[in-house]
Amino acid sequence: MASNLIREWNGIQQFPPSTQTKLLELLGKFKQENVSSLTILVMGKGGVGKSSTVNSIVGERVVAVSAFQSEGPRPVMVSRSRAGFTLNIIDTPGLVEGGYVNDHALEMIKRFLLNKTIDVLLYVDRLDAYRVDNLDRQVIKAIADSFGKGIWSRGLIVLTHAQLSPPDGINYDDFFGRRSEALLKVVRLGARIKKQDVQGSAIPVVLVENSGRCNTNDSGEKVLPNGIAWIPNLVKTITDVVSNGSKAILVDKKLIEGPNPNDRGKLWIPLILAFQYLFVIKPIQRAIKQDIAKEEKPLWELRDMGLSQRQF
Amino acid sequence: MTTKLFVIVAIEVGRDHKVPIANQEGMIFSHQVLPMVSLSRSNAANSRHQDKRGVPKLPNIIDDNDVRVKIDHSVNAVLEYVGQVVPIYRGVEDEAVEIFWRVADCRRIRREGTMASHLIHEWNGIHQFPPATQNKLLELLGELKQENVSTLTILVMGKGGVGKSSTVNSIIGERVVAVSAFQSEGPSPVMVSRSREGFTLNVIDTPGLVEGGYVNNDALEIIKWFLLNKTIDVLLYVDRLDAYRVDNLDRQVIKAITDSFGKGIWSRSLIVLTHAQVSPPDGINYDDFFSRRSEALLKVVRLGARIKTQEVQGSVIPVVLAENSGSCNTNGSGEKVLPNGTAWIPNLVKTITDVVSNGSNAVLVDKKLIEGPNPNNRGKLWIPLILAFQYFFVVKPIQRAIKQDFAKESMPLWELRDMGD
Repeated sequence: MASNLIREWNGIQQFPPSTQTKLLELLGKFKQENVSSLTILVMGKGGVGKSSTVNSIVGERVVAVSAFQSEGPRPVMVSRSRAGFTLNIIDTPGLVEGGYVNDHALEMIKRFLLNKTIDVLLYVDRLDAYRVDNLDRQVIKAIADSFGKGIWSRGLIVLTHAQLSPPDGINYDDFFGRRSEALLKVVRLGARIKKQDVQGSAIPVVLVENSGRCNTNDSGEKVLPNGIAWIPNLVKTITDVVSNGSKAILVDKKLIEGPNPNDRGKLWIPLILAFQYLFVIKPIQRAIKQDIAKEEKPLWELRDMGLSQRQF
Repeated sequence: MTTKLFVIVAIEVGRDHKVPIANQEGMIFSHQVLPMVSLSRSNAANSRHQDKRGVPKLPNIIDDNDVRVKIDHSVNAVLEYVGQVVPIYRGVEDEAVEIFWRVADCRRIRREGTMASHLIHEWNGIHQFPPATQNKLLELLGELKQENVSTLTILVMGKGGVGKSSTVNSIIGERVVAVSAFQSEGPSPVMVSRSREGFTLNVIDTPGLVEGGYVNNDALEIIKWFLLNKTIDVLLYVDRLDAYRVDNLDRQVIKAITDSFGKGIWSRSLIVLTHAQVSPPDGINYDDFFSRRSEALLKVVRLGARIKTQEVQGSVIPVVLAENSGSCNTNGSGEKVLPNGTAWIPNLVKTITDVVSNGSNAVLVDKKLIEGPNPNNRGKLWIPLILAFQYFFVVKPIQRAIKQDFAKESMPLWELRDMGD
C-alpha cells in the first residue's frame, strides 16, 4: 500500500537560529489549536518566483527552478513534517502563457487537488513589475471561478524580488504601498469581492526575496530593505490567515466540475412541453384541418379523385 | 528668438480617441510637449465668442466637414483654423472612430503672428553627462557628420513598462518624456528633437504595444500615422534584462512591428535591455545571464520577423544593455557603468552609429507602407480568366445537360393531355 512519503522537515535546520525559533513558535501555536497539518497552494503567472518561494519556505531545493524555461506542466506537492505537524506545499505551473490564461494548466491543477483541502493560497507576483492590467484580472478571475470566491478569504499575496531599488523619486515603502494597492484593486475586481466584504479582512501582502544575495541582519536572518526578516514574517502571516475564521477549501468533485449545466432549470421542461402541446401544436393542427376543409380543389384533382362530373 | 511653433500631435474625437492631424499637404507635425486638442462633436452648446484670454474660438460643428477644435491652454499656443476641415480618411463609421482630418489652412496666432515651424531645441542635456561621456558622444556625432549624415531619427518601441521613456530621457540627458512607475504611458507617440553643431537627433517615444495580454493594434495605428513621411534610421526594441520568460506574446509584438514597417526595419534595429544593473539569479553569472537572455529574445525576433537563418549570418541584431535609474553605478570618470564595467551610454550611441553605417536602407514610412498593399489588387488579373473558364467549362455543359434532360423526359398522360398532345 503506497502512502505519501512525508519526510522530516530537515530544511528548517539551515535557517539561522532566530528564524528557527520563530518558526517553531508558530508551529507550536498551531498545535495548540489542534491544527496538525497545513496545505499551502502556490499559484501565479509564469516566471514570478513561485518555485523559488517554495524552496525558500521548505529550506531546501525541492522544486526545480529555471531562469529561462517554463516550469513543468504538472503541480508538485512537497510534504514535510516536524514534531507532529505536517506542512504540504503545492507548487503549480504558471497560469499565463503567451498572453492568455492557461486553462489547461488550471485543469491539471484542479485534478491534482481532488479531495485535498487547501488551507492557504499564496498568489505570487513580482514586486518589480510596473504594470497591472487586464491579464492579471483574468488570472484572478480564473482562480476564483475554479475554486470559488471563498479561496480569497484564505489568500495572501506574495511579492517576490523584494530586494530592489525603487524607481527614481519613490522610496521603498511608498513603492511597496502603491504596488500592493494596484494589485489588490485588481484582485477585488477579478474575484468580485464587494467593498463591504473587504472591510472585514483585506488580503495581506507579504514581501519575499528568494535569491542567495538577500541581505542579512546581525542574527543572520534574511531581511528586506525595510529591515523585516521575511521568512518568519511570511509564516506568521500564513498563520494569521489560517486563524482568521474563514473556512478552508475542500476541493471535491463538485467544485472541480462545477454545477452540472444539465440540471439548470430542468423542472421547467415538462411545463414548457405541456404549454407547447396545448397552446401551440393543437391550434396549428386545428387551423390546418380547417384550411383543408375550406380548400378549393382544381378540376384535375377532382377528376383524379373521381369526384368530377365533366367528361373529356 | 522668434517663437516657433506648434504642433498638434493628436486630437480627441468624441470619447477619448486621439488621432493624428495633418495639414493640407498631408504632413503631420509633432511637438515635444504634447498639447491636447480635443474635437468635441457633442459639445454643441459652446458659444462662438472669444474665451477669457481673448483668443478667438472656432466655430462649432455644423456638419461632418466642420470641426470645432479646442486648445489645451497649458500649451501656450493657439491655433486658428481658417476654412474648413476636410476628412481625408474615415475608418469605422461610428462614434468612436478614427477619423483623419486635414486642416485646410492653419496658422498659429500669437501677438507676433508668426508662421509656425517645427521647434528644435539645442541639445543641452549633453552637458550633464560626465566629460568622458560627452567626449565620446561628440566623437560619434563627428563620425556621422563625416559621412554626411546630419540627422538621425530613432524610433523606440516595446511592451509597456519596460523602460522606453526612461531610455529616451537618458539619451537626451533631460526628463523630456513623462515616466510613471504605475500608469500606462500616454496613448500618443512623442518626438523629441535636439540639435548640436548642425546635427539633429530625433527620438520618438511610443506607447506600449501590449495591453492586457494582447498586442494593442490601436497604438500601432497611431504610431504609424504619427510616422507618416518620416524616415526611421534606427529602431530600438526595448525589453527588460530581468524578465525570465519569453513567450508567444513577444513573438506577436515582433510580428506586428514587422507587418507594420516591413521586414527591413530589423536590419536597422537594436535590442535594448533595461534594468541592466540587476543581480543575476542564483547560480548564473552576469555575462551568462545576459547572453542567455539575449539569445532567447533574438530567437523570438527571428521567428516573429521571419528572418531566415542564412540572412542572419550577414548581420546579427545587436543587443545593448541600459540602466536608466539614478542608482546606476559609476566608474572613476563618473560615467554610468554596468556590472560588467561598460559605460553604457556611449556604448549605446556607438552601437546606434554602427547600425546606421551597416549598409542597409533606412525605412521611409509613406502612405503605401502604412496602408499596406491594396487587397483588391491581389490576383485581379486572374478574374477574367476564371470567369471565362467558368462560362465555357461549367455553365455551358450544365445548360446542355439540362436541355438533354428535358428532351429525354417522359411525361405523364395528364400532362400530355393538358398540353393538347
